[in-house]
Amino acid sequence: MSSWNYAVTAHKPTNVTHSCVGNFTSPHELNLIIAKCTRIEIHLLTPQGLQAMVDVPIYGRIATVELFRPYGEAQDFLFIATERYKFCVLQWDAETSDLITRAMGDVSDRIGRPTDNGQIGIIDPDCRLIGLHLYDGLFKVIPFDNRGQLKEAFNIRLEELQVLDIKFLYGCSKPTIVVLYQDSKDARHVKTYEVALKEKDFVEGPWSQNNLDNGAGLIIPVPMPLGGVIIIGEETIVYCSATAFKAIPTRPSITRAYGRVDADGSRYLLSDHAGLLHLLVITHEKERVTGLKIELLGETSIASTISYLDNAFVFVGSNYGDSQLIKLNLQPDAKGSYVEVLERYVNLGPIVDFCVVDLERQGQGQVVTCSGAYKDGSLRIVRNGIGINEQASVELQGIKGMWSLRSSTDDLYDTFLVVSFISETRILAMNSDDELEETEIEGFDSQVQTLFCHDAVHNQLLQVTASSVRLVNSTSRDLCHDWKAPSGFSVNVATANATQVLLATGGGHLVYLDIGDGVLTEVKHAQLEYEVSCLDINPIGENSNSSQLAAVGMWTDMSVRIFSLPGLDLITKEHLGGEVIPRSVLLCAFEGVSYLLCALGDGHLFNFLLNLSTGELSDRKKVSLGTQPITLRTFSSKNTTHVFAASDRPTVIYSSNKKLLYSNVNLKEVSHMCPFNSAAFPDSLAIAKEDELTIGTIDDIQKLHIRTIPLGEQPRRIAHQEQSRTFAICCMKYGQSSTEESEMHFVRLLDDQTFEFISTYPLDTYEYGCSILSCTFADDSNSYYCLGTAYVLQEESEPSKGRILVFAVEDGKLQLIAEKETKGAVYSLNAFNGKLLAAINQKMQLYKWMLRDDGSRELQSECGHHGHIIALYVQTRGDFIVVGDLMKSINLLIYKHEEGAIEERARDHNANWMTAVEILDDDVYLGAENNFNIFTVRKNSEGATDEERGRLEVVGEYHLGEFINRFRHGSLVMRLPDSDVGQIPTVIYGTVNGVIGVIASLPHEQYLFLEKLQSNLVKVIKGVGV
Amino acid sequence: MWKQVGEREVGKLKPHSFANRIKSNRISSLQLSNHKEIVSAHRGAVNSLQVDLTDGRYLLAGASDGSAAVYDIQCAARYEGGGLVAKHESIFVVDKQHEQGHKYAVSSAVWYPIDTGLFVTGSFDHYVNVWDTNTTQVVMNFKMPGKVYRTAMSSVAKSHMLIATGTEDVQVRLCDIASGAFTHTLSGHRGKMMVSGSTSNSIPGSQSSFPKARMLHKKAAYGNGTKHTSTTHKNKGSTSQRLHPGMLSSHDRATAHYGAVIGLKVCEDSMYLLSAGSDSRLRLWDIESGCNTLVNFEATRLQTSKGIQLAVTQGSSLVFVPCMSAVKAFDVWSGRTFLTFRGHYENVNCCWFSSQDQELYTGSNDRQILVWSPSRSVHAEVDERGGEALMSTSDQDNWSD
Repeated sequence: MSSWNYAVTAHKPTNVTHSCVGNFTSPHELNLIIAKCTRIEIHLLTPQGLQAMVDVPIYGRIATVELFRPYGEAQDFLFIATERYKFCVLQWDAETSDLITRAMGDVSDRIGRPTDNGQIGIIDPDCRLIGLHLYDGLFKVIPFDNRGQLKEAFNIRLEELQVLDIKFLYGCSKPTIVVLYQDSKDARHVKTYEVALKEKDFVEGPWSQNNLDNGAGLIIPVPMPLGGVIIIGEETIVYCSATAFKAIPTRPSITRAYGRVDADGSRYLLSDHAGLLHLLVITHEKERVTGLKIELLGETSIASTISYLDNAFVFVGSNYGDSQLIKLNLQPDAKGSYVEVLERYVNLGPIVDFCVVDLERQGQGQVVTCSGAYKDGSLRIVRNGIGINEQASVELQGIKGMWSLRSSTDDLYDTFLVVSFISETRILAMNSDDELEETEIEGFDSQVQTLFCHDAVHNQLLQVTASSVRLVNSTSRDLCHDWKAPSGFSVNVATANATQVLLATGGGHLVYLDIGDGVLTEVKHAQLEYEVSCLDINPIGENSNSSQLAAVGMWTDMSVRIFSLPGLDLITKEHLGGEVIPRSVLLCAFEGVSYLLCALGDGHLFNFLLNLSTGELSDRKKVSLGTQPITLRTFSSKNTTHVFAASDRPTVIYSSNKKLLYSNVNLKEVSHMCPFNSAAFPDSLAIAKEDELTIGTIDDIQKLHIRTIPLGEQPRRIAHQEQSRTFAICCMKYGQSSTEESEMHFVRLLDDQTFEFISTYPLDTYEYGCSILSCTFADDSNSYYCLGTAYVLQEESEPSKGRILVFAVEDGKLQLIAEKETKGAVYSLNAFNGKLLAAINQKMQLYKWMLRDDGSRELQSECGHHGHIIALYVQTRGDFIVVGDLMKSINLLIYKHEEGAIEERARDHNANWMTAVEILDDDVYLGAENNFNIFTVRKNSEGATDEERGRLEVVGEYHLGEFINRFRHGSLVMRLPDSDVGQIPTVIYGTVNGVIGVIASLPHEQYLFLEKLQSNLVKVIKGVGV
Repeated sequence: MWKQVGEREVGKLKPHSFANRIKSNRISSLQLSNHKEIVSAHRGAVNSLQVDLTDGRYLLAGASDGSAAVYDIQCAARYEGGGLVAKHESIFVVDKQHEQGHKYAVSSAVWYPIDTGLFVTGSFDHYVNVWDTNTTQVVMNFKMPGKVYRTAMSSVAKSHMLIATGTEDVQVRLCDIASGAFTHTLSGHRGKMMVSGSTSNSIPGSQSSFPKARMLHKKAAYGNGTKHTSTTHKNKGSTSQRLHPGMLSSHDRATAHYGAVIGLKVCEDSMYLLSAGSDSRLRLWDIESGCNTLVNFEATRLQTSKGIQLAVTQGSSLVFVPCMSAVKAFDVWSGRTFLTFRGHYENVNCCWFSSQDQELYTGSNDRQILVWSPSRSVHAEVDERGGEALMSTSDQDNWSD
């Protein structure tokens, strides 16, 4: 029963809706404040760039954000209003570095119709009042008193019903608003009103202007001394004031955002729907405006907000693509652009569709999203893993091994980095300038490959080469003692800790040496029947300098053995089975539990529980981490030990709740890794890749990592096909050449590894791709991509024609196999009992896959069901079909095999406008609706009456505050058979704001616990703005 | 449609605007439903229609044969025409056969606004009955001094359970379901009460019942009938002047209509009031100021013998007005006729718009309740196979008796 669900955000909103600049945290600091739908981020401008200060959640969807400075205050306050008519005024407390809520309240009214064009919240430049336009025909005023406190709000009737924008005018003795509105004949005008605070009414303002550009949508108030406003239309820009009226034509564009450059308001940045950034200049002679000039600066993401920071730095916030920090250069670059993008802030929103895939087939789910819109469309690969923040890197090829060494035993930090190559060994060290430079340790043999290095007790260093073991004094760097391999034998593998050395030479000889002060003593020698492939004596017992056990991996019998030290007596022998030799063994302890890890040459990893006192192995488990040989190394980060498995899929192994967990590292192939904890790069790792050496820090485990594949067009739907290892996407390309919106629609095939387009199928004119599915049919072993389309014509409110196209992937090409015309838009496609179930306008239609006499295939309709307004979202499970209707909530249908018919089984009678549905289990279904809520309904099969059985009972409701576009089963964390996490069914969702979240169906006790925890947290943690 | 879905997906179209746009698209295609029919259980003119305010599922109708019936408008009782035409039959009927039923015409039937457990009927037999929906028994009744023309309940009031009734008498009485007594008697009218505003929407300031009553009063004032006086006589109504100083000052003529006010409807946003008069005029009033907004509604002909029940769409952009045997939809702000619904054979008395389904229900003297729904393209309905057979059955359906 999945009725106990837990909704959690895995990736916060990234869609920037508002931004503003001001002195918020101190009178002398300039801050950028960014609103991301339900979160407020405060950044500080520093010479190094933007520095994040706080990121706080707001309970509500932010509708307006304004900075203002009440009379007599030295720094700005922040006014926030939410879509549900709550507002708050926030102030920065410098002492506690925290936000204080100065005022909050509710501005909702019981009468009035919510505005269609969005809420408007503005503050008088002289800080006399806050103006809100929340309902058609009403203008709400919250006046300030003399001390800057808010007084009681009141409404003023606004005659204009279709308001497009309202702004306050600068430099007016009475607070004056300018209203841009549309009349009943669709003409647009501006009008000014003075707000008479005493009378609580409007007084006709100083000027008005009728019959503006029909696309006028944005007012920019111009500060004094010029005053007046700029009105941005689609084809003209107009400057308007009581005394002047200047207009210039522009290239047709829809301007969505503006940012003021100068405090005197003579220059503005404008960004249009195509992401082109323009500079608008008001030319003036003293206080008389003489004209307007507009100049193209370059291209950015499509902006939703622009904030001019300082010194030509501009923040461009975007709804549809990555937000950017740009610099405006005085001189154009080679492409004629004045815009230089300094930094990009990843934005996943809007996530229109996504799929969960396991490309590496290792149980680690990845989400591939269709993100962004228009030209900023992209695919994003989101996966849970560990990030390496690169600090430094050097080009070095052919690294065969790396070890870090300290200059003395008591030193906290590592000094030397020994890098071994096939025929030499180089030593890098941190010099006094914290730079890595090549140095020498005289006692080391640098003419040969190093097999192993380690710090040894008594300020000594140890180097193992094929011919000898060398003990070197770390202060004098001179050789103290060496142990030579018997002639005719060379050391193949070696390992060591602070006091012990274990090495194996050809012929299966295992030699154990003891490290003394300036002396190496051969203590024991053993002859094994096969060659040794790997060794480890990592001390995990009580003594941190020596180990009681040695782990040895063998050739030929593919076994891993545990020997006792110093006796070299065989304790345990574990056959690994299979044909692949162990390439790396490691003794390690996590959270007080000892393990033996053994990595194979094919990327598999065994883990065993190790009994330290008896040396017994138990609880054998095998996972696949990659395809190439793995090298295991321990490292510590934040005082916890982790294991790094270097391979083609580098992985970090760690433990949580005494369970081993595996987390991918966002790096491509890594050949070697060693911890390098130097003073300049504390807690860093040195990582050897194919042709470079990187030093980087590791970031928090359990974080999402995002890879971007820019498309330059908008992806709408995505499907993955396992068989052909491809993705297919429906996408839409906007033509920018002509003034009219020209759209072209394609189906594109992408390789699932490289994400390159490998094939494209163009759709007809006016034909949109609405749904895509990878499926197989009964009696046909091939996988197909099925595409549902619609012909979208201007004159039709609902498409009356569409197609279902069936493609096969042959030689990396999309091959059209079958085509079926439909009587409407194919909103959804599902594989259903070896057939194809399509949602076509208000109807569900089931198609069979038929073999024609000539051997070709076709779709043949079998049966249908209607009774929906529009069946937008469909999911199936067994014979059950769950339909999310445009406005009629969730419907449950069943397919009857005997009759070959689809019948309605039950429905939810609530009037929910659906945005996504998913089936949690046989009885419980999950839905998301138009008002940012999610809910679950349960089928009532045991109901006493037909009425009860025919009703889907609502069992869970949750206000998420996010618009969900898609649910998919899957998980972002690696699902391993030995973890409880694998047992909890989860659904991932993606939203318009770029949120990725998870809904987990929990056992009841766990749900109750978390619910209790949540309610207690609410009592303790005080939110911002409440 | 697909385009709007796409714009909503990327956040270009706000969900709220999306719903409004789809709704208004659908409303503009309203026509006599080809897939939904209500099987009328009435043997007299249908006078009152209301869908419950909680589930949006049960249609309550009152008719001149003294019957009141409830129809399930979400779940059809059966399907005809090859499964394409849903027939919605009454769940129950209370009529003269019922021992507690009304003897004469039911003029008004309204749901208890909080849930569907109760409904209220007012009848020409002078009684207002409060019914338990589940047992279909009268749980309380109020004897009025004359014929009951209209009953109304406030949907937002939390502190009381009052039924406002307009009768032949000059006074509006507020009947309290909780106590079974009349709590207020509101005088102000000189004629009989043909209509009382159905308080289906939120009214500001209903914390106590007092401003509430004033609100009702204000509205009822328009319903000052002139039926027993000459219809051409200019109805001055000194009471209404006294009650509306705002109107007096801002409007030199205190007269709302040159004739009886036969229909009233508060717009969804509670900022405007629509009135229909026996002078065949529609007027739009600003509630706050009491001013006529001077929207010039296109000329039409309204019935004069009976009150009519108006309906508005959720966005208050259209008002549905029974105009003799047709129903017209006027644009509220321009006054233009937007749609005309012809289907009834006799005068239409009442209409109800369900904004949840964007469906219009109309009740007429021809005893029928018709469903007007957004057009559903028939070609999409008809299966490719066996389309012929279905076509013929749907042809049959177009014939009515």
